[in-house]
Formats: sequence, structure tokens, C-alpha cells
Amino acid sequence: MSRHLAWFFSVVVMLAVSAPLQALNYEVGGCKTGSGYVNFTTISAAVAGVPAGSKILVCPGAYPEQVTITQPLTLQGIASNNSNRAVIAINPTGGLATNVTSIIGQGLYAQVLVQNVNPPGPVNITGITVDGGGGNVGCSTSVGLVGIFYAAGTSGTINEVTTRNHQSSGCGNSIWAENTAGATQIIRIENSSVRNFDNWGITALSYQNTSTLTATINGNFIDPASSALAVNASGMVGSISNNVITSAGVGIGSLAFAGPITVSGNTVADVVGGIGVEVTSGTTATSNKVSNMANAFFFPDGGATVKSNTVMNATYAFDLDCFVGSTISANIVNDSQFAFQYSRSQITGNSLHNVDTIQTGSCP
Amino acid sequence: MSRHLAWFFFAVVLLAVSAPLQALNYEVGGCKTGSSYVNFTTISAAVVGVPAGATIQICPGVYPEQVTITQPLTLKGIGFNNANRAVITINPNGSLAPNVTSSINGLPFYAQVLVQNINPAGPVSIIGITVDGSGDNAGCSAETLAGIFYASGTSGTVNEVTARNQVNGGCGWGIWVENGAASSQTITIANSSVHNAGFDGGGIAASSVSPPTLSATVSGNCLSNAGFFGIDDSSTGVIAGNVLTSVAGPGIFAESDSLTVSANTVADISGIGIETKGANTVQSNKLSNVGDSIALFPDVAATIKSNTIKNTFCGIDFSGGSSSGTISGNTLNDSLYGFANWLGPNIMGNSLYNINNVQSASASCP
Repeated sequence: MSRHLAWFFSVVVMLAVSAPLQALNYEVGGCKTGSGYVNFTTISAAVAGVPAGSKILVCPGAYPEQVTITQPLTLQGIASNNSNRAVIAINPTGGLATNVTSIIGQGLYAQVLVQNVNPPGPVNITGITVDGGGGNVGCSTSVGLVGIFYAAGTSGTINEVTTRNHQSSGCGNSIWAENTAGATQIIRIENSSVRNFDNWGITALSYQNTSTLTATINGNFIDPASSALAVNASGMVGSISNNVITSAGVGIGSLAFAGPITVSGNTVADVVGGIGVEVTSGTTATSNKVSNMANAFFFPDGGATVKSNTVMNATYAFDLDCFVGSTISANIVNDSQFAFQYSRSQITGNSLHNVDTIQTGSCP
Repeated sequence: MSRHLAWFFFAVVLLAVSAPLQALNYEVGGCKTGSSYVNFTTISAAVVGVPAGATIQICPGVYPEQVTITQPLTLKGIGFNNANRAVITINPNGSLAPNVTSSINGLPFYAQVLVQNINPAGPVSIIGITVDGSGDNAGCSAETLAGIFYASGTSGTVNEVTARNQVNGGCGWGIWVENGAASSQTITIANSSVHNAGFDGGGIAASSVSPPTLSATVSGNCLSNAGFFGIDDSSTGVIAGNVLTSVAGPGIFAESDSLTVSANTVADISGIGIETKGANTVQSNKLSNVGDSIALFPDVAATIKSNTIKNTFCGIDFSGGSSSGTISGNTLNDSLYGFANWLGPNIMGNSLYNINNVQSASASCP
């Protein structure tokens, strides 16, 4: 028996004997060794090889692989020596075939795919970088790229992650969670650096008239490469708070079927020619700072509450698009060409300073 | 006696008789009329024509004039009908000669709104006014352009103001306040929108001799597209809750040693985000997409605490020092260098994620 095989058997025996007594540590990359660790050379091998609910420590380094997670676990980047970045990269020789189809019908090449999780339980990803460089799969209704994808029926937390370089001719997405009809799922996407994508930054999609996805999108810094959508909250319920969004085409958008969402404490700036925050029916937007853009708040329908926000240097502070039923109060507008566009009635109760024209546009 | 002269005398008598009993309203631009209003056609005429301490309401409109304020008063933009913007602009037919010399750097300034030699002593407040610097292209060799300039020895509040287009070939500042070796002054610059300032200048300057004689509060402002500095502050006081984007950098330069820089959002800066020259406190700021996020002069005992830094080349740059104050509770995610140009022992007590090089003695930071 070779020494390696002997070692393998000893690990198996140790696992069988000690697992009930002591949690083993699972590691990828070789920076943690010793009897307390089970080592893997790829993340893909680890996520398939550990018991459900385990935590996998990922050493600094580059991992050019496509990872599919089908059981509850935690993937956590760790530091070793002077380095603290584990990068999941596109495998240059792995091909770029799509591996999942979204509920909107688009085939996606997902670098980290969470789906069919069995037994049910959360999948958590912490302190990992997902780099989409080299992953241009083109762009159509049937093809796109995504960094991290939580498929229907999955849940978990993404925290302190970096996603970068998701450019795919206009179909590059960073983090995408979705759910379809069925039990409601809970997703948290927090404190992450999401940058250099060319379609959607953080997406929380349920595509249902009654949302089945409760999402918390909190404390992220989002900075697209081009005029992309930073947060796509189409059909989620929950909260979008304390994010910093710069240089997007649209900051926070609800494209369809939006449920009640609280949008608070975000800073949205430098949205070139676009919309800062779209507030659909049931959205409550409070205490956001929105500056340097065309439309700070856009109302694609009625029934939103927009309170105590600060808008500076906008072309239009509030564009109501002739819908009624929204509450707009106690906001502060400084330095805008127009305060209210396409409002059916005069809006009072806000503080306006340096506004060229208060109301503009008539409704049919 | 002409009717105008008669009206003038009547107004004077009215002032004399009614002033002790009832505050008169002072107005520029003609949107407020009636017996309780004294009307002026220019802001310049109003600021010399009202009693000390008066509030002057400015109607929406364009005021192509250079305004010099030498008594305590409040200048306040008001809404009328569907408009709410009073803009002080460069007079296309006026002189572009400098009207004040900085007591801090000795340079000649063209100030669009100049506050100086206030007598009797008292604060000057400017609220809800736009100052637009388009049209002064005299250039750097001639002068520095400032939208609002509080000269040495003055105090007051600038609130909900817009300062824009102070470019002047690269030597423009939105708002400049200063104090020299005189008695201490207090100035607040708050909730203002400052954008498109020159590339050798910046957004807001609070300039003081050292040790500081100026206590400045710079809070809640939005600054963007400044060529060099967002906020350059050598006073003592607070820089809090500002949003700075698309500034060449430094976004905030804390030049003295008794400033608190807190809860600012600093983003999209190719150079330095927050730079501290002295032992200032830099706390709870959010920095993203910045070249060199927080930079310290070598060996300053600054407190760098609870800041969040994402997407940066260098997270905290010590410029080659080996001793410092307190570096703790900061969260860094997505950085090429975590602690850059640091010659001292390992720095603990911070949360690091996705950092290529945690600590480096020599990093070439932007």
C-alpha cells in the first residue's frame, strides 16, 4: 500500500470515528494542513465531498473552475501569509456552455451555481472573489454570463464577496438570486464589492405576482462598467439598504411585479443619463442620498412612499409619469432643473432649494 | 419733487417710524411686493441698503453681479410661482479683476460673493442661492475664482447652496472660507451641492493658519466633478456626512491635526480618497472605487476607525511610516493592498476580505 493510500484510509477511518465527537475542518488550496484538516485541491471537489452543512475554507489563490453546489454548506475565503484573496476564475480550457436556465428563459453560464440543494438548507458564500474575465459568452435572450447564481428553491447568504469583470456583450451579471412558484426563499446579499459588469449587478427575481423571494440587499458597493442596472429588484420583497451605487445606468430598478420593498439609506450617485431609484407600488424609499443624474426617483406606477430623501444635482428629482397614489414628503431637493415631472396634482411638504422649475409636464 | 423721490422719503420715514415696532421684509427681484416689503433690484444694492442683521429674500431669477457683503445679514433664495432658483452669475460686462487676496496663500481671488470686513461683527448666512462661475475664464495667472469667499475675520453659515462651474482654466473653488491670525471664527457649510470646479482647485476649502483659528463644520454636502480637492480643510472641526464622487483627489484633505472626518461617502476617485496630514480622526466613512482610499502622512498618530473600504488599489496607505495612532475596526473588501507602505509590526483588529497583499512595505499607490 502506498503511503498516500494509507493516509487516505486513515482519514476515512478518522472521519468515521471522530465525526460525532469533533468537527473536521475542510480546506481547499493547501494552506492549512495537519490532522485537523481534510484537504481538497479544487472547490468543486470540496463542495461535493464534504458532509451537508460543512464549512469549507478556501486558501488564497486562483481557482479556474465552474462550481456547482447542491448541498447546504459555507464557502469561506481565508488568509494565509500575506494574502487574503481566493479567486474563482473562468477556466480558459473549460468551454463556455450554459449550465442553467433562468426563470426568465435565458440560458446562463454561471461560475458559481447553487441549485437542487439537498437536503434543504442555506448555502453561504463569504470572502470569495468571482472574476468573470474571459467569460464573454455573448448576449441574447438565450445566452448570458453570471458570477453567482442561486436557482429557484435555494437560499443563503452572500457576504463580503467580490464580483468583477462580468462583461458579456451586454449580458454580464454579477450576483443573481431567483425563485419561482413554491415556498418562499430567503436570500441575503451583503457587504460585497460588485463591479465592472455590463447588465445587472445584484438581481433578486421572483417573477411572480405574489413574491416568493425575500431578499436583503445591504451594504454593498456597486459600480458597473457601463450604463448597466446596479440592483434589479424585480419581484422580490424585503429591503435594499445602505448600499453605495455609482456610475450606473439605473441605480435601483424594479422591472416587474415588485412587492413591498424598503429602500433606505442608500447613496446613489453619478448615474449617467439614467434613473437613480425606480419606486413601484408598495415601495417605501426613505433617507436615501441621490445625486448627479437625470431622474433621481422615477415612478413606473402609483402607490409608493418616498420620504426624507436628499436629492442634489438632478435634472428631474421626481418623475411621476402621470401615475397617482404615491406619497412624496419631507424630501430635500437642492440643485435640480425640475422638482416634479408629470404630476397630476401639486405636491407640497418638501424642502426645495435651487430648483429652476418646480413642476413640469402635463398629463392627458 | 418727483414721485420716486417722494416714495423714497416716505419709505425712509416708514423705516424710522415702524422699524422698532415691526420687522420689515427686504426683497430683491420684484416677486414680493406690498407695504411690508422694501424692494431692491440688485443683491449688491440690498446688502448695503438693509440694516445689520436683516434677512434679504431673493426672488428666482438671474443676478449677473459681484456681491460684496460687509455687514451681518442673511441672504435667502425663495420660491415664487413655479421657480425656486436665484442664480448669481458672472456679469458679462463687468470687470474680472481680483477683488480679494487670500490671507492664507497670498493669491489674488475673484470672489463672486465676497464676505469681508464685517461691521458690526456678526454672522453672514447664505441660504438657498446658486452661484454659477461660468464666464470667468481669466485663468490661473490672473486669479483664482471662488463662488463664495468668507475672508479672514468673518463667520456665518452657508446652507442649501449650489456652487457650480467655478472652473477658470483650472483655478476655481466652489466655496472658500478662511481665517488668518485673527480671533477665532466659526463657519458652517452644509447641505450644499458643489460641482464642476477647476482641476487645480476644488469644491470646498476651509483654510486656516496653524494652529487653527477657524472652526469649520462641513456637513451633508454633495460634491462632484472637482478637478483636484473635494474638501481641503486646515481648520479644526468636523467633515461629516458628505458625498464626494468623481473628484481627482484627494477627496478630503485633512491638513490640520484636530479634525473629525466621519460618515462621508467617497467614491470614484482615481487618486487619494481621504488624506490626513495630522493626528485627525477618520471614522465610519465609506470609500469605494478609490485609488488610494485612506492615506496618512508618515508616522502621524491618526485614528482610523470603523471605515468601510471596497474596490481600491491601496486600502490604508501609511506612506512609509512605522508608528501610528489607532487603526481598528475597519473593513476592507476587494483591495490589491490592504495596509500599504507600512514599515511597522502586523496590524490587527480589522476585517479583511479579498485582499491580494495584506501588508506591504513598498506599494506604489495612486
